[in-house]
Amino acid sequence: MTNKYLLKAWDFISSFQLTIASLALLMILVLLCTLAQVPLGTYGAVNMYMRSFLVWWGPEGSTWIIPVFPGGSLVGFVLTLNLLASTFKRLKLTWAKAGLWLVHIGLILLVSAEFVSAALQVDDRMAIEQGQTVNYVENSRSMELAIVDVTDPAFDEVFAVPATVLAKSSSVNLPGSPITLNVKHFFPNAELTNRSPVDPPSIATMGIGPSVKIEERAISSNENEMNNTSVLFEPVVSGRSYGVWLASIALGAPQSFTHEGHTYTLSIRPTRHYLPYALTLKKFSHDKYAGTEIPKNFSSLVQISNPSKGESRDVLIYMNQPLRYEGRTFYQASFGKGDTLSILQVVENPGWLLPYISCVLVTIGLLVHFAIMLRRSLKKRQEKVS
Amino acid sequence: MKLTKLLPWIVGVVALFAAVFAAMPQSKVNGFDVSAFAKLPILEGGRVKPLDSVARNTLLLIRSQQSFRFEGKTITADQWILDLMFRPEVADRQPIFVINDPDVLGLIGLKQTSDRYFSFATLAPHIDELEKQAKVAQPIEAKQRTRFQSAVVNLFERVYMYFRLKNTLQLAGTPGLAVQLQAVAAPQAAEMHSALTQLAMFRILPPLAGQKADAWESVGEALQAGAMGQPLHPGLEPMSRIAAAYGAQDAAAFNSSTTEFSNLVTSLRPEAMSHANNEITFNRAQPFYVGMIIYVLALLMIFVSWLWKPELLQPSAFALLVAGAVVHTAGLAFRVILQGRPPVTNLYSSAVFVGWGAVVLGIVLERLYKKGFGTAVATAAGFGSLIVAQHLAEGDTMEMMRAVLDSNFWLATHVVTITIGYSGTFLAGAIAIAYTLWKHIAPDPDPETGKALVGMAYGIICFSLLFSFVGTVLGGIWADQSWGRFWGWDPKENGALFIVLWNAIILHARWSGMARDRGIMTMAIFGNVITSLLLVRREHAGRGPALLRLHGLGLRRPVGLLRLARRADAPLHDAQALPLPEAQP
Repeated sequence: MTNKYLLKAWDFISSFQLTIASLALLMILVLLCTLAQVPLGTYGAVNMYMRSFLVWWGPEGSTWIIPVFPGGSLVGFVLTLNLLASTFKRLKLTWAKAGLWLVHIGLILLVSAEFVSAALQVDDRMAIEQGQTVNYVENSRSMELAIVDVTDPAFDEVFAVPATVLAKSSSVNLPGSPITLNVKHFFPNAELTNRSPVDPPSIATMGIGPSVKIEERAISSNENEMNNTSVLFEPVVSGRSYGVWLASIALGAPQSFTHEGHTYTLSIRPTRHYLPYALTLKKFSHDKYAGTEIPKNFSSLVQISNPSKGESRDVLIYMNQPLRYEGRTFYQASFGKGDTLSILQVVENPGWLLPYISCVLVTIGLLVHFAIMLRRSLKKRQEKVS
Repeated sequence: MKLTKLLPWIVGVVALFAAVFAAMPQSKVNGFDVSAFAKLPILEGGRVKPLDSVARNTLLLIRSQQSFRFEGKTITADQWILDLMFRPEVADRQPIFVINDPDVLGLIGLKQTSDRYFSFATLAPHIDELEKQAKVAQPIEAKQRTRFQSAVVNLFERVYMYFRLKNTLQLAGTPGLAVQLQAVAAPQAAEMHSALTQLAMFRILPPLAGQKADAWESVGEALQAGAMGQPLHPGLEPMSRIAAAYGAQDAAAFNSSTTEFSNLVTSLRPEAMSHANNEITFNRAQPFYVGMIIYVLALLMIFVSWLWKPELLQPSAFALLVAGAVVHTAGLAFRVILQGRPPVTNLYSSAVFVGWGAVVLGIVLERLYKKGFGTAVATAAGFGSLIVAQHLAEGDTMEMMRAVLDSNFWLATHVVTITIGYSGTFLAGAIAIAYTLWKHIAPDPDPETGKALVGMAYGIICFSLLFSFVGTVLGGIWADQSWGRFWGWDPKENGALFIVLWNAIILHARWSGMARDRGIMTMAIFGNVITSLLLVRREHAGRGPALLRLHGLGLRRPVGLLRLARRADAPLHDAQALPLPEAQP
């Protein structure tokens, strides 16, 4: 009895119908995802339709949502299962099918590459001004509250609290420091304006905070819109309160307070990851075609210094020519400040080689298969003639 | 019997002769050697090209045509640009601004009639109002503009282009370049020099010996340098005489001064002169336009052949198709050599290339099956895609490639592969349409032909799946190379994936037996719908869904990651995202 059901399930999983249905669902998802990019932005649309198991929907303004469509991850998963099952069921392990085997293995690899990058890829960036040396990358999608002891001019001691922690806790101890932070209010997104005399007073008592009016805003997933992560908090050092401060990504220069001869700066900034090596921007170049504004090329001449390896060398990063170093890839992404600032996109994706391998496998596979078919049809033709 | 053998050859050779004839230089117009002047190399849009290219492209943008009728005579683009630069009072009366929008016509006090072309003189009294309206509309993003706003901005931009061209070599309404040369250092001259510099549409004075190859100067820049005490550029003197001679309609003086200027350029920059010479030949030959005409003739012939004398007309139509393909191929090859780039560099060239791929495949099919269907489908595909290409041409079709696209390797691999994939999908759809028509029209459709058509479509879909898949993955690899992610689900990538998925569905439906002949053919027609959507004009796409926005490869690409880089960087207010392509086709 169980056997019969198992067989039926196996037939279903390995069926052509399932292949076609999955491909069709994927097509619909691709269409929906493309259309949704206008209101949601690429990131939001991809998260909603592609990198989810189910597509959720709820009426505007209400809090409940229901799944209305399978998401890209689910369809991709089913398609992979179907591909595996049908490969083993239908494909005989013979040389005549060698091409098709390669094609199917390549496809499985390609789909898994998308899963790997959805799960493991980290996108950071590094902004370096000419002459500057930077040993960290920043993650533009997550913020942190940085309390930096800048007393020693040669060395900064950094205490950082991720925004996700600020959102959850009311009090945070900074390990290794005498500071405790009491979080008064956390804003994932907010609008900051100058306080007018008629506005109610701010909770903030120190720094720029009292003169700023802050209003909470809904989080935007559109990458063209910035979430102004902000927090109202009270630093307490060894039992002594230093008042309530406002820190926000929308504020420019960091604010600071002094405790027993130690000066601490406060700011919200993109989360930093420090690297065991540093990059120095020697020169950024940006050429245009004569008499036009059409960019001809962008390039950054950087020096990598890695003391742990005793390495120090120059590298030119330019369009279509990234630097791959220690598991990270540095791409020329952007520039600014009158061509003296270079912004590098820094990507960490352990699966970056998979699509390359997959592409080679599928191409070879299709070529082998077509060659075998061609030989067969030529043979038939010859037999007809003779 | 003899005629059936001979006629196809005659037809094909005549078509090729006509194509070669079109490339012949224009004879002198009223004694003026217009061709010699149009052949002069200039620097515009970052590259050296003949003046003829500027004339044609600008006239095409302003009037949507490369020549027009005025006072009973045909005025070519080269004659027009001469009038505009040296006899603006004549050019101002020529009806060259095409205006279709009734509201814009209303703005300039005109009613909509069958005559849609207006002269600058007609527009002149309303320029202020036009500028006012355009200034209101310009800050609005192109997509958000109303029809009137788009039309008004468009007309204003064309008027401005006309105005710039008019004031490139000498300021209109002044005594002319010769008089300016006499008084280079005069105090009141500085203002005129700077106006000339700012308005200049192109740079005509070649770099002197020892200068960098792209150090071309406009007349205004050379005058400014002269006013600073530097020696005057040796080209200014003959140029002023060309201007004066054409203004006075003195053909002999015009021809001799043009020769003098042209000799100067040849001695300074022989490579620019020879490039301009090649490009003007290409411009005159208009291989894609001629090819289009040959294809449509072949298509008409094949239609007639189904009613009358098929044994005579079908081979002749095939010969015409081959002649068209020869012209088409020669055009592509010429373009590749001129530009030093693979055949597909922008939307225009992708349409030309899609058509070429479909035609070549169609010729192979016709050789295999010999039923006239291959010819019909290939000519229709070639004609259709070249018409689309004509409409996609916006200004210079050989414009410089933006930084990230400046990679012949990826243009040659990814772009060409995926375009071939599109060609196949397009051709399979065309065959399916032919099949459907034939099923309904033919009084007694024989199963053999039906089978052959389905076989053709099936084979081509296999072929397109291979190319579109490999092309899409190569595009991902390119994206990985240039901005660090293999796949970002952006509209262009999704469009390519759409075709891959659809072709895969068709093939699986056939293998599983879910779809038979009619099903496959219906699905192939839908594949054509998808390809067409991808090739739909950006202009329409502006208001439509993002999927329709097939990337002009030369345009800015809103890459999510790059925008993200910009937005998250609050302290770096002046950071700019790099202009990237709108991704792979």
